[in-house]
Amino acid sequence: MPKKIYVGMSGGVDSSVSAALLLKQGFDVTGVYMKNWSKNLPGHYCSWEEDYMDAKKVAAQLGIKFKLYDFEKEYRSQVVDYMVSEYQAGRTPNPDIMCNQEIKFKLFLNTALSDGAELIATGHYARINDGQLLTGLDSNKDQSYFLYRVEESALEKSLMPVGELEKPEVRKIAEKLGLSTANKKDSQGICFVGQVGIKEFLESELGISKPGRIINQTGEDIGEHEGALYYTIGQRHGLNVGGGLPYYVTGKNITRNQVFVTTDITDISLWKSSLKLSNIHWINKPPSKDSKYKIRTRYRADLINITNINHQGDVYTIDLEDEVRAVTPGQSAVIYEKDRVVGGGIVI
Amino acid sequence: MKNPIYLDYAAATPMDNNVLSAMMPFFSANFYNPSANYDPAIDVKNKLNDSRGKISFWLGAKPTEIIFTAGGTEANNLAISGVMQANPDKNLIVSAIEHDSVLLPAKQYLHKIAPVDSRGMINLPSLLKLIDKDTVLISVMHANNEVGTIQPIKEIAQKIKAIRSQRLLANNHTPLYLHTDASQSVNYLDIHHSQLGVDLISLNGGKIYGPKQTGILFVSSRVKLSPLMLGGGQENNLRSGTENVAGFIGLACALDKTQLIRKEETDRLSKLQSHFFKNIAAKLPDVIINGSLNKRLPNNIHLSFPGVDNEMLIALLNNALIYVAAGSACSASNNMPSHVLKAMGITDDQARSSLRISMGRETTLEDIDQTISIIVDLVKEQMNNA
Repeated sequence: MPKKIYVGMSGGVDSSVSAALLLKQGFDVTGVYMKNWSKNLPGHYCSWEEDYMDAKKVAAQLGIKFKLYDFEKEYRSQVVDYMVSEYQAGRTPNPDIMCNQEIKFKLFLNTALSDGAELIATGHYARINDGQLLTGLDSNKDQSYFLYRVEESALEKSLMPVGELEKPEVRKIAEKLGLSTANKKDSQGICFVGQVGIKEFLESELGISKPGRIINQTGEDIGEHEGALYYTIGQRHGLNVGGGLPYYVTGKNITRNQVFVTTDITDISLWKSSLKLSNIHWINKPPSKDSKYKIRTRYRADLINITNINHQGDVYTIDLEDEVRAVTPGQSAVIYEKDRVVGGGIVI
Repeated sequence: MKNPIYLDYAAATPMDNNVLSAMMPFFSANFYNPSANYDPAIDVKNKLNDSRGKISFWLGAKPTEIIFTAGGTEANNLAISGVMQANPDKNLIVSAIEHDSVLLPAKQYLHKIAPVDSRGMINLPSLLKLIDKDTVLISVMHANNEVGTIQPIKEIAQKIKAIRSQRLLANNHTPLYLHTDASQSVNYLDIHHSQLGVDLISLNGGKIYGPKQTGILFVSSRVKLSPLMLGGGQENNLRSGTENVAGFIGLACALDKTQLIRKEETDRLSKLQSHFFKNIAAKLPDVIINGSLNKRLPNNIHLSFPGVDNEMLIALLNNALIYVAAGSACSASNNMPSHVLKAMGITDDQARSSLRISMGRETTLEDIDQTISIIVDLVKEQMNNA
């Protein structure tokens, strides 16, 4: 009997090709559209129905079974609410990472297993080998950063077929098979954010934020901002402070609704040679003393050599060979050993 | 490659060639604003009014009773909101299977909803029971866009006439109007307003092989209507905005043709329709025909295939270059099957396994035979997979 595999199909080309490849490999494939978000936001039309029908059309073309899993409630409580409360606390969370951890590789996996699947698959650009998470072969598209919080037990039951391919090959396969999604534009984020400005999103969740004061490096009040929640450390734009040198956000005080800025790009609060991480998640085992590791502090950022890893209780201190700019509390730092994801944590 | 088979004429019709050529001069050479007072503009206005005259002929109306609108949705909105805003504090009754462009405006006013039976036919006694002394408008579509059921408009009109007389005797001067949306029926049925006994009729150019976003509201001269669009006072002050001259010329031309070939098309399509029903039922014993068998538009086929997901079936048919509509849209989205099927008491499962196939001028017997055989194969395959 061929193995039963449920493929998360978003209506994009990557997951379409994933389903096609698995079918070719002889799996008993069922496509699943996960409905996580359906609300239109100001200036952003949510195209979930079109995406759903695109996924279904591909399923029809491939002759595979197709299901819809409605995860809107769970996505709301585990991803969106988390994201909003992180912003309210002055941090900059990454909802895509949370979505993979809680929705795709937990809820989807468990739902699929209880519906009779033996394995699941997604269209991520990453590879899984023996319970280890590896970067995707296409270094431009590598999505392993978003996957560092996925449990080893979930990885053991997951396949990511396009992780072995480069994006142009994926498009070529889709074209060769005549899949209707072959020429569909890539979506920005894995989930819905990235398509809509964070300010618009938070306004739709929390209402219009109160304006506050902008304080520069010498302690001067230099103007008004639209709400401290919307600003991220290192950010250069959107401060409406006219003239002169550009300003960079160095920090904020959420309770006083203040944003701190500097014109000095070398300002020590913008550069860090050491990071503190909490909520650590190791995929296989914790890093050892005698291996070399690198770290990535945001998606697609350069990897930086780690000189030392220490921890006191649950808080890890990561010393870096080079200084890294604009490290923001709430974002994830992911540790690699060559092309293997060791794990990571959340910057505090 | 095989030719595609289009079977969604209830959603959109291809524009007739004669309609297109009739429209062309009015985009460029005859571009003038019909409200202007120099000769070429007056000529455009005369041409526009010729079209109005042609249209009024088919409706048995006076030309001044024809209001051009931007599409069927606008005509329905004008009928409902126009009457209700001219008669504040009064109520209206609409059937449960109206198009959303009637249903949603109706819900902005005091309204009641008249039920239909399992074939999608209005229940006349229930409708009459809903009428009270303050009811000013009743809107029942001539034929339903989803299941094709033809409503007994004449009978409703006769009852309304009697109620009007009673009101006069009781010294109640609240008018009682009857509106019908004939967008789907006009290709096959008589739409003379006096035959139907109605005061307002909506038509849609996009469903009669004419241009999209053109429509007509027939408004009997005795109906008091408030405009929704204010401005230059065009269309007898009821629909301001420079007239879509090319569009309305095209609409008139399209209506002419539908009315001239109405009877032969009805005969031809009725045969294809019963051929379809007979053959599909013979090959797929579980198939359910939704709607009425005899009170039905000749181009409408609405079927449920129990156990088969209609969205998947549509995607598979799409791959076979056969274009049909879901009998009930949004099977997955929001779990909201069509309000029409719901009103007919059709279960959600049955709704989600339904297709609407609507035929038109270019549909042939070969198309229908091919469609039947492909549907039969696909449905069997889906049943085996399940």
